[in-house]
Amino acid sequence: MNTFQNGKFNVSGDSITDNFELLTQALDASISGIIITDHREPDNPIVFCNKAFELISGYPRAEIIGHNCRFLQGDDRSQAERAILSEAVKKGKECRVEIRNYRKNGDLFWNELYMSPVKNSAGVITHFIGVQNDVTLRKKAEQDLRVQKSMMEKKVEDRTRELRESEAFLSSIIETVREGLLVLDPEFNVLSANYHFLRTFKVSAEETVGKPLYELGNHQWDIPQLKELLIKILPTNNPVVDFEVEHDFPHIGRKLMLLNAYRIELEGQFKDQILLAIEDITERKEIERRKDDFLSIASHELKTPLTTIKGYIQVLERSVPGNVSEKFSKTLSKVAVYVDRLNNLIAELLDMSRIQTGNMELHKSSFDFDAMIEEAIEGIRASAHDHEISLTGNTGAKVTADESHIIQVINNLLSNAIKYAPDSKKIEVNIASVSEYVKVSVKDFGLGMSSEDKKRVFERFYRGGDIQKKFPGMGIGLYICDQIIKNHGGTLWVESEIGKGSTFNFTIPKKSTGKDGK
Amino acid sequence: MASKKIIICDDDAGIVDVLELMLEDTGHIVIPELKSLNVKALIENKEPDLLILDLWMPVISGDQILKMIRSNPKTMNLPVIVMSASRDGAEIAAAAGANAYLAKPFDFDHVLAVVEECLN
Repeated sequence: MNTFQNGKFNVSGDSITDNFELLTQALDASISGIIITDHREPDNPIVFCNKAFELISGYPRAEIIGHNCRFLQGDDRSQAERAILSEAVKKGKECRVEIRNYRKNGDLFWNELYMSPVKNSAGVITHFIGVQNDVTLRKKAEQDLRVQKSMMEKKVEDRTRELRESEAFLSSIIETVREGLLVLDPEFNVLSANYHFLRTFKVSAEETVGKPLYELGNHQWDIPQLKELLIKILPTNNPVVDFEVEHDFPHIGRKLMLLNAYRIELEGQFKDQILLAIEDITERKEIERRKDDFLSIASHELKTPLTTIKGYIQVLERSVPGNVSEKFSKTLSKVAVYVDRLNNLIAELLDMSRIQTGNMELHKSSFDFDAMIEEAIEGIRASAHDHEISLTGNTGAKVTADESHIIQVINNLLSNAIKYAPDSKKIEVNIASVSEYVKVSVKDFGLGMSSEDKKRVFERFYRGGDIQKKFPGMGIGLYICDQIIKNHGGTLWVESEIGKGSTFNFTIPKKSTGKDGK
Repeated sequence: MASKKIIICDDDAGIVDVLELMLEDTGHIVIPELKSLNVKALIENKEPDLLILDLWMPVISGDQILKMIRSNPKTMNLPVIVMSASRDGAEIAAAAGANAYLAKPFDFDHVLAVVEECLN
């Protein structure tokens, strides 16, 4: 501005022509497009445009001068900004608009147009000056920003909805599962409790959420075993799995619970929250107990008449007169065999039920292993007169185990050897002491079995290929044997070939290991 | 062999009958009883040499009777064989003070052997 007032030129006076030239050059140097329209002429024709306006509009000067400015709008004539412009022209005021204009080649550009009237000394408008700036880039950036913003908003909205949906999904699962679930903070305050927890322990959400676990319901959750579990085991980052806790609750009575606890972990990071799952197994255990009781009673009741039948048969066998037919005595001894089988089935049923509910009890005591084997074989010999059972080897061991269960296994293996080798009379039993185990092998020379049968012979209810047709049975004898031997910390296995007989072997440790019976 | 008096008590008539048949040829006198409640008086009246007692009986169970026998100075030395078809019978019998245990179903020879052992 200083240049204008105090510089080398003066806009008034003699040097008007020079200065006009200079001003024109100045206008051409501007990067803003500048036009002047003559308001006194009809339709406000353009009477001046600078170089920048030619550049912005893409029209040469010759095609600009004499036109009304509206040619820049092309066919895009319905813009609201037009009204602002005509209003400003009408009232002779300045205005600023951003309007869509089109270059000569048809390309859109955003024109930031500043328009102001020029008045003569009488205050009458003679001209309008329009200063134009191509703000397409800025407009585009603004538009991109708007698009981006709305896209972001939509994404956030979608994500929020998804989260809300998955939260609803998860919470509906949590509320539906038939297991009590608690989320605790590190101080064991309850952060949330699901419906099943509230229902099982007959409490409301209000008296549970936000309260310390141990203080819930008059300290009814102040269970030493639970505390131990939460304080000692969890901080080691080990989950607590299927921990059985029995507790007497003041109002709902004695409950047997299965507890599972986890520290909540996200991408390898432990969050300070604990998930405690509480399964009420009181009823389940009660049902299992009742089933066991029922089977105990049923087997007891079935065995009573069986004892009588067996007794009568034995009395009969001893009172058979010498001149009785072979048919008679053979039939009688067959009856005896089937009574024994019935007795075994009843015993197996009971064992089966106990194994399935995990209630197999071992009554361990120390006994002379060799004497036990001899006695067991003697017992079988008494009822299997046709078979020749030999015993070789000795262990010389005192073994701590459930004697009646081990006898049961030996009886079962011997009965199988007899049953599945009807054409062969020979059965070889061998016992040996191997390291800290005793080993028993029962070898028959009967049918033998396929490799498929060998794999599955210890499965529950498994009956080998043709066996079912020829030999009746439930397929649980060997399963029970296997479970008994496993419960003793031993192994039961079979070596067999079709047509060459089978050898069943088992080992049990001489000294008691693992589970002890009550 | 001098004949001995044996009381057999089981609520199941079949069991009592079978045992009677099994012991018939031994020359012993068998006194059958189906009601456990009568056993105590029967022991006092008959002064038996042996009692064969079932475990599960209505009104009063075998182990309860056995405990009473063992706590009475007059009968505490009476040989008692307990029999049962239940799995834990042997333990209950031992705990109550039985001299021998017979698991049902029992074997003829075994019954005779156990009876003679208890009588001697």
